[in-house]
Amino acid sequence: MRALDGLDLTVPRGAVFGLLGPNGAGKTTLVKLALGIAHPSGGEVRILGRPGGDVAVRARVGYLPENHRYPAHLTGAQVLDFFGRLSGLPEPARSLRVEGLLRRVRMEEWRATPVRKYSKGMMQRLGLAQAILNDPDFLILDEPTDGVDPVGRREIRDLLLEQKARGATIFLNSHLLSEVERLCDRVAILKSGKLVREGGIDELTRTKSAWEIDVRAPSAPALAAIVAATPGLRPAPPAAGAAAAGTTMLEIEGAAADMNRALDALRAGGVGIDAVRPRRESLEEVFVKVIRDGDAG
Amino acid sequence: MKIRAILLDTARELLYRRTLLFYFGVVTLTHLILLLALQTDVANGVISSVRVFGLEGHPQSSGFALDNRQAAGALGLDAERLVTMVQFVIACFLYPTGILLSLFATASLVPHMLEKGTIDLLLSKPISRPTLLFARYLGALLIAGANLVYLVGGVGTILAFKTGVWNWGFLLSGLLMTAYFGSILAFMVLLGVVFRSTTIGMMMTAIIYVVGAMVRLAHDYADWPMLITSPVARFLTRATVEVLYHVLPRTYAVGQMATSLILHRPIDSWMPVLATLGSGAAALGAAIVLFRRIDF
Repeated sequence: MRALDGLDLTVPRGAVFGLLGPNGAGKTTLVKLALGIAHPSGGEVRILGRPGGDVAVRARVGYLPENHRYPAHLTGAQVLDFFGRLSGLPEPARSLRVEGLLRRVRMEEWRATPVRKYSKGMMQRLGLAQAILNDPDFLILDEPTDGVDPVGRREIRDLLLEQKARGATIFLNSHLLSEVERLCDRVAILKSGKLVREGGIDELTRTKSAWEIDVRAPSAPALAAIVAATPGLRPAPPAAGAAAAGTTMLEIEGAAADMNRALDALRAGGVGIDAVRPRRESLEEVFVKVIRDGDAG
Repeated sequence: MKIRAILLDTARELLYRRTLLFYFGVVTLTHLILLLALQTDVANGVISSVRVFGLEGHPQSSGFALDNRQAAGALGLDAERLVTMVQFVIACFLYPTGILLSLFATASLVPHMLEKGTIDLLLSKPISRPTLLFARYLGALLIAGANLVYLVGGVGTILAFKTGVWNWGFLLSGLLMTAYFGSILAFMVLLGVVFRSTTIGMMMTAIIYVVGAMVRLAHDYADWPMLITSPVARFLTRATVEVLYHVLPRTYAVGQMATSLILHRPIDSWMPVLATLGSGAAALGAAIVLFRRIDF
């Protein structure tokens, strides 16, 4: 059985790239191949222009694996010091960096506590600090918000955005699609080891033949009459999101000409048009559709 | 810096497990007993009196006895003989104990390192796989070796302080046992890489330890396979014995050499030590080659 099959993927420098896929799709295998933790039976992975797994490349990479474990006998500060040494960080820069990162992930109070006493969320914070210890150019994160409460998730998101602003490329592997949607510039979806979809978030979530129209009607019955008389036009379902105060959200499916005809009808009925935009699906809807229906877009 | 990091972490892990701390305590107790309980009076290299826990020692035709009679005059016991005797007894008890406890303490080092979530992190750092495994091995060897050096160095120094006799053979025997431990530890590292299980690694290493001692008899008394009637079974048995004898660390021969060093007996050949070191190096090499190829 092939864990990955004919996969050709490029992560642009400076991007936040999300890798999605159901369990067993090959996401973790891809990361392991990139870092030399596993060896490919064919093909190659290059990171920052050099072969994946190259020792020199790993000095510029940060990695947070899923279900990471730290030696139970170490404290949080000792864990960071240990991995700082392995990353080749010299003193006194290492100690300063360790203390700074413990403060940054709000773990300074727990610096002298053995990691075996840490909660899942604390382990994730420490893991993230460990991953960015060497100011990596390429950051690989496998489920970074797993087990973290909403406040913690927000903090992790901010931290990752800081890393992006610093110029780091971030490769994110997560099941939390809302997080991926908020953070990532580009996304790839794997299914059974094959790449089934790849693109920017805007590109993937845009629905080609549907629009949302925010309108300001003189009266509800008048608007209802126009909607009933215009083919394809209907009130947007509540799930589509709330319109601004005093406005109503409509939607229309069809070609661009249908949308223009609907706009003409609305204007003719004295309805004000506040906004027209292509309707978007959530990343979760896209993901489920791709995985369930095999829709390759 | 990276190797030092692994060495430091290995030392911390071993201290956390406390098995070697227990051995350290036993050795320290031995030192204290020798320091506080053993009193000797030496004149011209001859023991005039020996007291252990206040009991006076008397040489007898069958050996040496302790009682609470006050001895008068010289006992006629050679100080060097007393030192070698005490060191021999200590070596007989504490060398095997030290090696077995060191094996128990270090058995989990490699399997723990190879656990999912731990190995992924280590391999993502800029350190090569051979360096990582070798540093782990070296850390275990240094800590266990330090305990053996503490044992022989302490006992040697205390006895020298009490009797004026330095037995370099005892110190050399400590180094010899450290080398033996290095060899058997390499086998445990190899088993750890293959099975990734502390229990299996420890059990199989204990078997290697025992078989390494027993196979020497089968090797030396070459005629015993004649008891096996089937020529094929006889050939296979002989071949197995010879392979095991040449591949495994030579527990019996090295132990015998250690006692010879302590008792100043001549050593016919250093070959068993070289063979033991060679088999350890081969095991460590195999472990490194295998570790380089494994997909985690």
